[in-house]
Amino acid sequence: MVKKDIDPSSVLLTPDYAEFIPAMERRRMSQVQKMSIACAMDCLHQSTIAQPDAIIVGTSMGCSINIKNFLDKILEANNGPLSPTSFIVSTHNTVAGQIALLMKNHGYNMTYTQNSLSFEQSLGDAMLCCAEGLKNVLVGGADEEEDSLYNMRERLKNDKVLLTSGASFFILSNIRRQGNAINLIDVGSFGLIKNTLETSLDFLKANNTTDLEIDMVLYAMSEKSKLNELTSFFGAERLFDYQEITGTYYTNSAFAMNYAVDILSNRPHPIFGEVKTVLVYNNLIPENLGLILLGTKNEQDEIAQ
Amino acid sequence: MKVFVTGIGVISAVGLNARENLHSLKSLRTGIHKSAQYKVMIGEVPLNNEQLLQINDLPDEDYSRTTLLALPAAKEAWGSNKNDSRIRTGLISSTSVGGMDRTEKYYFQSQVNKTSDNYSLMIHDNGRTTEKLAEELGISGHISTISTACSSGANSIMQGARLIEGNILDRVIAGGSEPLATFDIKGFNSLNIYDNEICKPFDEKRMGLNLGEGAAFVVLENEQSISITGNKPLCILCGWSNATDAFHQTASSPDGKGAYLAMKNALAKAGISPDNINYINAHGTGTGNNDLSESMALKNIFGDALPSFSSTKGFTGHTLAAAGAIEAVYCTLSLVSQATLPNLNFSNPMSETGMMPETQFRPAKIDYVLSNSFGFGGNCTCLIFYKY
Repeated sequence: MVKKDIDPSSVLLTPDYAEFIPAMERRRMSQVQKMSIACAMDCLHQSTIAQPDAIIVGTSMGCSINIKNFLDKILEANNGPLSPTSFIVSTHNTVAGQIALLMKNHGYNMTYTQNSLSFEQSLGDAMLCCAEGLKNVLVGGADEEEDSLYNMRERLKNDKVLLTSGASFFILSNIRRQGNAINLIDVGSFGLIKNTLETSLDFLKANNTTDLEIDMVLYAMSEKSKLNELTSFFGAERLFDYQEITGTYYTNSAFAMNYAVDILSNRPHPIFGEVKTVLVYNNLIPENLGLILLGTKNEQDEIAQ
Repeated sequence: MKVFVTGIGVISAVGLNARENLHSLKSLRTGIHKSAQYKVMIGEVPLNNEQLLQINDLPDEDYSRTTLLALPAAKEAWGSNKNDSRIRTGLISSTSVGGMDRTEKYYFQSQVNKTSDNYSLMIHDNGRTTEKLAEELGISGHISTISTACSSGANSIMQGARLIEGNILDRVIAGGSEPLATFDIKGFNSLNIYDNEICKPFDEKRMGLNLGEGAAFVVLENEQSISITGNKPLCILCGWSNATDAFHQTASSPDGKGAYLAMKNALAKAGISPDNINYINAHGTGTGNNDLSESMALKNIFGDALPSFSSTKGFTGHTLAAAGAIEAVYCTLSLVSQATLPNLNFSNPMSETGMMPETQFRPAKIDYVLSNSFGFGGNCTCLIFYKY
């Protein structure tokens, strides 16, 4: 695959939020809340379940826009009275909490905020929930672009990276479904490691998979030397940089999983051909590695999107 | 498979380590006072950042106070534990503020001075403050940060237990850290939720909460890990659950449904009935809403047989994400000391319930302790600990 950079003029595709969120609630919501709730509601409509048993969200920066708004209000107020509106919705678990509020859901509710591994940790928790006996888990990753508070470009050592927003949600189920089921085989989250490629091969081995069985690697990478290493190993024809589509936000590996599910569900792909096993290789922050292994083999866990 | 608590560490307004915290609990000595800087009643850790850098033996770099508070607590809990390839180990921390204490400082400066000189000095996201802690402890691999407001610390510990029970990890250091920051001080002020004096949990005349800061961690191990480390268990974490109130973003439902579900499911997880519980460490922030809502939930679980209960937030203040972790350490101290923990500033019971909290550090037979933590977003967590 010839690598392209994302078009700097590209914009976030959004649905008509009115379809998913009542007007009064919508008015007070920031980007990440609206995106997440719309995705979550859409998942629910697509599935046959009334309520998920758990709601788990990964977000690296949370409600950054609300946080910034409240900081600005503190400056404006200059020790005078302050409205609490932005503060109330500034905690990172506002997204997961608001989804539960709208659905009137009383189940397990969790939020992970581990920068580029936020989504993988949420997914890992969702798998654990299924292993513990929960039948349907709503899990997603979302971030909104608001970089005046967080110097992402410095962490990624790239002044020119295009910072964007996005949200991707899934319903993970341990109930077998008819038809073309996609399996979430395993997920890994590795922080502060040096040998990322070796770690990914150990991960595959632990899942009785060799690198040869991986039909496609969807990756995100910031360090050129590591990209060369990955390309040498897997070969350029199996690699695809999902940031060409998403731009950069720390939970964009959730989109990569969505993309993988689409490709696995609609075979053969016009460009990638017969794809039966996909590895999402999230090395966005050089010392952090997120891995998601998906396939069409029948295993214990399946996804109904 | 059993989940053992083998290490505890805590830093708060009433002590720089577990021994000092226990001493304050025994002596009924509060750490809450009027802050000269913030002009409200707070529970402050009596060390500034420069002093924390020194005691942590850190270079003079720009660390978030979240990391600076987390380090002594985590090191105390970690003790003489070492990395060992035979022991699958993880770190799970939690915070609401994250790097905000630095971010707000530089953001305010840059907005006022209209410069971006301080831009590169901004300390970042929650996850980074945990990574800094992992670096100092020498842990890599499973490094995670949970952020669910005031239930965060309890959720980290619960997650650690689940990962051990699920045979994914053998040993986890889990907890939370929360410094005071202008963002939160102003935020809670805007909600008109403060008491101008020291808070009075479960009292008829309670006025609100006092914010606090601090950090706490526990080390959890399975039997396999203990057989290698030789660590002595302090108590057993035997029950846990998380549920959602789904009533309002900040207020709790009148009947405390989320709290009720969390307690009910934690008891079921522990395989015990309510009458097995000997002491409850309540969330008990001292607000009108929480204390009534939590009391209703307690009533619905325990009926007329309510065991000894108290809130320790009159000592520490409400330390937000760290609260569930600090209180898990306090529950361990209760079990090891075989005593109930006191609820400060109680005079008269709430007219709606007539419930009287424990006001003394009273020796008692304590087998099971239950701990509640509830956060914004209706996030409710309950942990149950058992005597070793």
